[in-house]
Amino acid sequence: MSAVAGTSTPLTHSPADDAPPHHRRRLLLYAVVLVVAFGILGVNHTIWAISVFLDAVFLAYFVRHLAFAISGARWAERDLSAANVGFDSYTPPVAVLVACKNEELVVDGMVSALLGLDYPADALTLVVVDDASDDGTGARLDAWAAADRRLRVLHRAPGAGGGKSGALNDALRLALKGVDAKVIVIFDADHEPDRTVLRRLVRHFRDPAVGAVMGRCVVRNGIESSLASTVFIDYLSGYLVNEYGRQALFELPAYGGANCAVRTSTLRALGGWNPDTVTEDTDLTLRVLLMGQRVRYDPTAIDFEEAVSSSKRFWKQRHRWALGHQKCLRDFWRPVLRSPHLTVAEKIETMMFLWVYHVPVLCGVGLAFSALRAFGIGGPAPTSLVPLSVLLFAGPFAELAVGLLLGRVERRAAWMLVGFVPSFGLAILTITAAYLDGMLGRRYSWIKTARSGGVTAATAAATAPAADTAVADSGPFSFARRAPVQR
Amino acid sequence: MISVTTGHLDTEVPRAAPRRRPSGVRLRRRAVLIEVVGAAVWCVVGFHLLVGPTRRFEVSLAAGLLHLFGVSGVSGALGDAFIIFGPGQQPIVAQLTPSCSAINSILALSALGFVVLRERAQVLMGLVAATSWVLLANQLRLISSLLAGRYLHLDVLVWFHDWVGAGLNFCYTIGGLLIMIAFTMHMPERAEQDRSGRHTARRPDTWARPGLGYRVELNGRPPAPRIRVAAFVHRHLLPRSVSRRLAGRRERGRIDYRIGHLEPAARVEAVRRLAGRGLAAHTATLVAVATYETDTEVLDALADAVAARQWEPVSDRQIAALRLWARAWMMRAPDDDTPTGKLVAVTGAGGPAGVAVIRALRAAGRPVLALDASPDAVGLRLATNAEVVPRADAPDFGDELVRILDKHRPAALICTVAEEYAALHPLVARLTALECATWLPDPAAVEVCLDKRAFAQALRAAAVPHPPTAATRAATKAVPGPWIVKPARGRGSRGVVAADTRTELHRAFATVPEPIAQTRLAGREFTADVLVGRDGTLLTCVPRWRDETKAGISVRGTTFDSTAVTAVVAATLRAVGLTGPANVQGFVADPQRLDGDPDADVKVHVVEVNPRFSGGLPLTLAAGADVVGTYLAGILAPDAPLPRLTFQPGVHMARYFAEVYYADGGEPVPDPLASA
Repeated sequence: MSAVAGTSTPLTHSPADDAPPHHRRRLLLYAVVLVVAFGILGVNHTIWAISVFLDAVFLAYFVRHLAFAISGARWAERDLSAANVGFDSYTPPVAVLVACKNEELVVDGMVSALLGLDYPADALTLVVVDDASDDGTGARLDAWAAADRRLRVLHRAPGAGGGKSGALNDALRLALKGVDAKVIVIFDADHEPDRTVLRRLVRHFRDPAVGAVMGRCVVRNGIESSLASTVFIDYLSGYLVNEYGRQALFELPAYGGANCAVRTSTLRALGGWNPDTVTEDTDLTLRVLLMGQRVRYDPTAIDFEEAVSSSKRFWKQRHRWALGHQKCLRDFWRPVLRSPHLTVAEKIETMMFLWVYHVPVLCGVGLAFSALRAFGIGGPAPTSLVPLSVLLFAGPFAELAVGLLLGRVERRAAWMLVGFVPSFGLAILTITAAYLDGMLGRRYSWIKTARSGGVTAATAAATAPAADTAVADSGPFSFARRAPVQR
Repeated sequence: MISVTTGHLDTEVPRAAPRRRPSGVRLRRRAVLIEVVGAAVWCVVGFHLLVGPTRRFEVSLAAGLLHLFGVSGVSGALGDAFIIFGPGQQPIVAQLTPSCSAINSILALSALGFVVLRERAQVLMGLVAATSWVLLANQLRLISSLLAGRYLHLDVLVWFHDWVGAGLNFCYTIGGLLIMIAFTMHMPERAEQDRSGRHTARRPDTWARPGLGYRVELNGRPPAPRIRVAAFVHRHLLPRSVSRRLAGRRERGRIDYRIGHLEPAARVEAVRRLAGRGLAAHTATLVAVATYETDTEVLDALADAVAARQWEPVSDRQIAALRLWARAWMMRAPDDDTPTGKLVAVTGAGGPAGVAVIRALRAAGRPVLALDASPDAVGLRLATNAEVVPRADAPDFGDELVRILDKHRPAALICTVAEEYAALHPLVARLTALECATWLPDPAAVEVCLDKRAFAQALRAAAVPHPPTAATRAATKAVPGPWIVKPARGRGSRGVVAADTRTELHRAFATVPEPIAQTRLAGREFTADVLVGRDGTLLTCVPRWRDETKAGISVRGTTFDSTAVTAVVAATLRAVGLTGPANVQGFVADPQRLDGDPDADVKVHVVEVNPRFSGGLPLTLAAGADVVGTYLAGILAPDAPLPRLTFQPGVHMARYFAEVYYADGGEPVPDPLASA
């Protein structure tokens, strides 16, 4: 489906829509144009022309990365330690929503963190959706809800569909019925928000033009594997530099799907989350912008999340991100270019943001051309590729360096940046595969990212109560902090 | 004159179209764009200026190195070219083209270093190291290509240079970038998180910048470097005066995080001490206090100190920021809350429970008004304010208490003496009028707890395990011995007599006022500190062994975990209908079964419930269950849900005597044993 901005029609998931749209004709058209170009211009000239185009694209993205790195290096440090203003004086009613599916390993830490949030109790509603889990997630949530009446648990029936968007839409429709929440805050099940995160997120809604606010996610399990610590560094750069730069230079940060807030009236006007996308966050970002509202980013609104710790999980997660993001480009590029709410500079930045998950595909094309040149096809000068390939890495490396500096990470972490070179190769493969899946219309359903549950702030303190702790009930229970059960 | 002026005013001056002022985002974009363009210009101009000399230098260096290692068949440097004689001695001119020079990489690195990393002083050293690395690596590339042409085939030279060399160029340029980045990053002892994202800075929670490191236990501190270059330079190379000046500059910019770990009173002292040395001496720390501190007493102290030093030259922009902050702080709107805001009144300041509550509140930064019937009650010396009140059974208790509360206007009243509840209940409306919140348990529930006969009946009715109890001598026949005889209404161990024989039992019955007799229980004695929400939710239950008691007060204890004890305690509280703080005392008949199995179905008997905080409260607080803070939160916000409190089992407490000294007039006398 294509998203329509500003409508109030609920975005419901229909089984009839299950057949994913495909763009095979467009792929065929690309192939035909290439063959025709080979015929008219010759192979060498065509490859040269495409290489020039690729160089231009890479140069544009290099400048974008560099600009974000400069803005992060200049201003982010002071932003992180700036004093809070009016921290306690603006506390609109807030509903926190979390969708869980088979999250037994992490749900205790998440609920414990939610119950510890610093926000007026009479202005806070906590709703956790158990999306037909077939492990112990539902039971654990029920135990927490029985022990603490602030927590509401909504159980979805198996096959309810819609993935995370469906679960959140159900929460919006059922659990928040009659709740006067002005702002809805979303976390994922593996997240453990900092105590002050709600106050930091909602303060931006003082501005009526703000439709959504994004916080900063920090990896908490970097110790679990080298991949997880690589993701930790990637997040530092992504949030402290890239997302920060988008806000500083274009006021266009992205709503990220977790640790973020959205104005309830905005969300209802948009019909809720889009169940027909696997990246409902990017989808919502675009719809908020197209209806004339703004997304803000607060780098001090922190929550700690779990990074994937194995290559297989990494592949699946990035594949999903790429698939959804690429679909958003196909859905939104025309509305973005026509939008009266965005300036020219903002349209360019939004298009570059939407194109981010296509650049690695172009890198794959560039590498293929390099291989052809090795066989004498496409021109003889491999040295001309050097600046191009250095540019490919120099921009992201500049962002990573600034992220490490802002995060005040120890020096040894610099050498971990070497690991980004092969991970970039993996990204080319993953994202190209996602591109082909999207264009060919291969079926995709929500694949939940597997958790490890190995690192949690609350460790022993955050285990689900074994039974109701109300004095009015009986049953064996204890308030002692016990070592986590080996799972 | 007037007409002239009017004429001027009436003249319509043609105005230029108003200039569109750039928005903040445009200004930022412009600043960044200038830097990007500047970097590009630097690269282009630098390339044109430096490519020739650099190529000649690189060719000379490569030729020199080849000759140094005795390689023949390669000519000396001929400008930017060599003549190479291949395996068949056929000559070829190999020119170092601009794209093969290291100048591209060096210029790119210098531009990146300047625009991205220049905030860090180490970037200069990093750039030197990266440039050296790139030059050497490009020499390796050149020499390898020349050797390939000299000994293999001249075509191999081209192939190697173009393909392998291109890969090498990419690798060493990225390597140079990494070297520069590594130089600019923080050393482990100055970093705030390790490469896995764990917090290593030991900043206190309130002072930590959001998201800087995940707080998990670390094994020890990060290893210190073996060689401390800076320390060596300061100790042995720099003149002392220069070193001292640099140290002063460093101190101004350094934040002393240790202050954040202190208790509020100590933070006040620290702030006064630092400011007293001059705002310019510890500016960063004082700004950090203004930024992170939340305790109003500490902020008041800082504002006072800044106000007192307005003569000090504003030699730093941060001093100006401090002055602005202090001005705003002193001009802030008065608090809408009660006049004294955070003041909490605590009754029973002379008892161990009262002392523990006062200390807990003070540690949390709360000012405390201590109340006790004895002018020598020790808690009066531990609080910020103190008053002597009549005993609860005195006729003027209510009026006098209200007068004192009206004078101090505390936000809340905590009662630590169960016998005072009855006297406080009639005063609730008057306390509410004074905006003094309190939370008193149901009088009927208190009465059940205070009257051991009624308590025994309530537990029997609820089938909660309780020792057989007799309230009359005749009824003792049904109670198996040995016995404990105690007053039906009494505190601690006052009036408690042990009896092993019937004779001793009858004698005790004759001497103890309002006696009851109970079977003396075998096993290990425990006390469970509990907090029950207003709706009856058990918020915590912290059982602890009473390893040693003196005068009914636990002086050594250990927290432990038992689901059976918790269940019996919960059933007891349910039977009496108590809310708020309480401590439940009892015995576990077979405690050894709890070793390694906290879910063991041990035999538990409850002896009594005190509807107040216990004397052993500090152990419960040390085990992590903040029952005092949570109870106070429940007093101040009656409708707010209270958190469930967990605790750490296996925490031991060993008590010792502590002293406070005061003069006849109540003025404090310094403690000669206090640490400096």
